[in-house]
Amino acid sequence: MPEVTGDPTALEQLRVQRGRLADRIRAPWWYLAGIAIMWALVFAAPFGSRYLPRGISPYPPILVAALAVASLLKWGQALTTGMKVGFRNLSYRPGRPAGIAMLVVSIAANGSETSLIRRGLLVAAIAVAVLAVAAEVAAQQALLRAIRQDLRAGGGAA
Amino acid sequence: MTATAKPDPLIHPITRLSICGLLAAGADWVEFAALRDAAGISDSVLSKQSRVLEDAGYVQVRKGAVGRRPRTWFRLTAEGRQAVEGHLAWLTELEEAVSASTRDAPQASPLPGDRDQPRRVPPPLLGST
Repeated sequence: MPEVTGDPTALEQLRVQRGRLADRIRAPWWYLAGIAIMWALVFAAPFGSRYLPRGISPYPPILVAALAVASLLKWGQALTTGMKVGFRNLSYRPGRPAGIAMLVVSIAANGSETSLIRRGLLVAAIAVAVLAVAAEVAAQQALLRAIRQDLRAGGGAA
Repeated sequence: MTATAKPDPLIHPITRLSICGLLAAGADWVEFAALRDAAGISDSVLSKQSRVLEDAGYVQVRKGAVGRRPRTWFRLTAEGRQAVEGHLAWLTELEEAVSASTRDAPQASPLPGDRDQPRRVPPPLLGST
C-alpha cells in the first residue's frame, strides 16, 4: 500500500463543497404549490365523505392522487436540484420534528374538519383545512431546511 | 455506526475525496452537473475520476436521459461508503491532532527589538501533499 500523507485542509475544502451541494436543495414556487395541492387533496377527504353517496369512500382515490402528486414533485425536484433525496420517514433524525408536526397537523385537522362538518359548520371546516395546508407547507419547508443542514454537515460522515 | 479511521489511497487524491465526500453527504443519487459544480472540477476530470472509482467498486453509475439530454447519476456503494467514512474519520483525527499541536505549541518569545513585529507562527506539524 502506498504511503498516504494527510492534508488537514482537505476537510475544510470538503465542508465548503458540501455547503455548495446543500444550497441546491431549495424549493421552487411550483414545488411549494404542488405540496399545497397534495395536502389540499388530503384535507378535502372529510368533505368528500360527507357529501358523496353512502358506501363510496373518498379516501382511496384521494390517497392515490396525493401519492401521484408527491411522486411527480420528487421527480421534478430531482431534475432541478440534481439530487435524489428519498422519502424521509420519522426514523430520519434531522427531519423528525417536521415529520411529527406534519403527522399531528394532518390527524388534528382531519378530526376537526369531520367534527365541524357533522355540526354543519362548513365555513369553519374550510378555514381549518386552509390553515392545515399552510401549516403542512411550512413543515415541508422546515424538512427541506433540515435536509440542507444535514447535507452540509455530511449526514454523519465526518 | 462509527467508522474505523483508516486512510484509503484510492480516495486520497483531492478530486476523488471531493467526489466521494459529496456522495457520502446524504443524498441518495447525485447528478453529474451537480457533482461537478459542487466539487468545482471540469467535466473531463469528473468523468475520469468517477470511472476510477466505479472500477474500484466504490461508486455506482446510472445513465439515463430526459428528452434528448443525457443524465448521469452517481451514488456510493456500501464498500465505497465504508472506505469514505474511514478516510474522513482519519482526516478528522489528523485535523484534531494538528489543531491540538498548534494550540499547545509554546508561544515564541519575542527577540530583543522584535516587539513590534508580527507574531511568528509555528510551522505546521504535517505537510500537505
